Amino acid sequence: MASLSATSLSFKAPSIQSTRISQVLRKPSSFQSISFGGFQSSKSLRLQISCAAKPETVQKVSDIVKEQLALSADTALTAESKFSALGADSLDTVEIVMALEEKFNISVEESDAQNITTIQEAADLIEDLVQKKPAA
Amino acid sequence: MEEEKKFVGGWGKGNKMGERRPEDICWKERWVDVGSAVRLLDLSAMSQMQRSFSIDLPSLRLPSRRETHLWYILPDEVKSTSLLKRYSQLLSQTEKDRVDQMRGDELKKNALLARTLVRTTIARYQTNEAVDPRSLMFKKNMYGKPELDWQNCNVQPLHFNISHTDSLIACGVTVHVPVGIDVEDKERKIKHDVLTFAKRFYSADEVNCLATILDPEAQRKEFIKLWTLKEAYVKALGKGFSAAPFNTFTIQSNPGGYNLCKTSEITANPLEETKKCNGGWKFALLELADSHYAAVCTEDDQADEGAPMRVIVRKTIPFVEDQLILKEYFCN
Repeated sequence: MASLSATSLSFKAPSIQSTRISQVLRKPSSFQSISFGGFQSSKSLRLQISCAAKPETVQKVSDIVKEQLALSADTALTAESKFSALGADSLDTVEIVMALEEKFNISVEESDAQNITTIQEAADLIEDLVQKKPAA
Repeated sequence: MEEEKKFVGGWGKGNKMGERRPEDICWKERWVDVGSAVRLLDLSAMSQMQRSFSIDLPSLRLPSRRETHLWYILPDEVKSTSLLKRYSQLLSQTEKDRVDQMRGDELKKNALLARTLVRTTIARYQTNEAVDPRSLMFKKNMYGKPELDWQNCNVQPLHFNISHTDSLIACGVTVHVPVGIDVEDKERKIKHDVLTFAKRFYSADEVNCLATILDPEAQRKEFIKLWTLKEAYVKALGKGFSAAPFNTFTIQSNPGGYNLCKTSEITANPLEETKKCNGGWKFALLELADSHYAAVCTEDDQADEGAPMRVIVRKTIPFVEDQLILKEYFCN
């Protein structure tokens, strides 16, 4: 994926707290729209107005990713972990998205599905979709 | 039960044992041309297979129009640390950084082999003078598809595309038209129910086709084949997945080969959805190393519409050896 990684801006500390701060700092990077998945201007807009995902969501996503990619239970995953760096190909990514849809009872657009590259992005998308669901 | 065919839609069969190409004076090869019904190589033929060795990178004849050259590496065959070190010296700093980002030694090694395969293969197609693989530069098209920056480094304009799994890394090369390839392990297990997955992502016609296959294992295999073909198309198109969502096109399986049908909804009435099946794209589906499905997709040049795609497959270990695996025609 050709998305601009803003790791040069974010803190490298592993805790979720600093990740949340770095997410806010990362806002100006509308360059995220120029990725292999086509223009994502609506997506980066969504990231600007919503907060970073809750730690529990990130944890649930990590668990699903570990299962799909058959990673050992003690593999250290952070919110910034990239699917491709973990060995996920496009078929894995789609399967992860399907598992997330089942787990969170949401429906992901295919164009969004193919463009999730990190655990953070998956968690953000999930929370956004959960939020948008009409109240039960 | 569906009989597993080795190569789909091939013609131009015939045994051509021991043929040497005139231009390969230093490059001795023997190869077996395999028809679609013949199993590839028994053990005795394998031991007679003469492998080619070279210290440097022997140059290659460019693919002709309608030809795709498909190269692959089996990571398990590359064990030498000194060879891997030599490979890492070919990479750009950006590529080295990406290799380092991979989690775990196996993934790092495969990422290294993938970039090595691309650089060494493309360098060999340069006809004027020998090109240092390190000197090749790459860029991305506006959608992010990696391309050879041929203008800036004075090399032949080639199209290429990579795909890899844990156990096989492949690179397709063409000259005139864009190419996309995808490889998948034949035994890859899908965690979800195949039809559920297909209904979610594939086109209605493809779901119907899969639903007619009653044996779960045969159904899974067909699902994987379709996946590779669809991926190969999207990668050949080069506009990202949003440009061609999987459920907007059908890969049709015919006795002669594979065809692309694009679904276009002309009116609001879904019953009037029409399909254009004269494609504009050529497909080939093959098996590599007895373990993987490989799909190749190239754009149809208007002058070539309907003509078969020729695929030449070679297994390689860069700087060490090449092995010509097959030459085959694939019809639409």
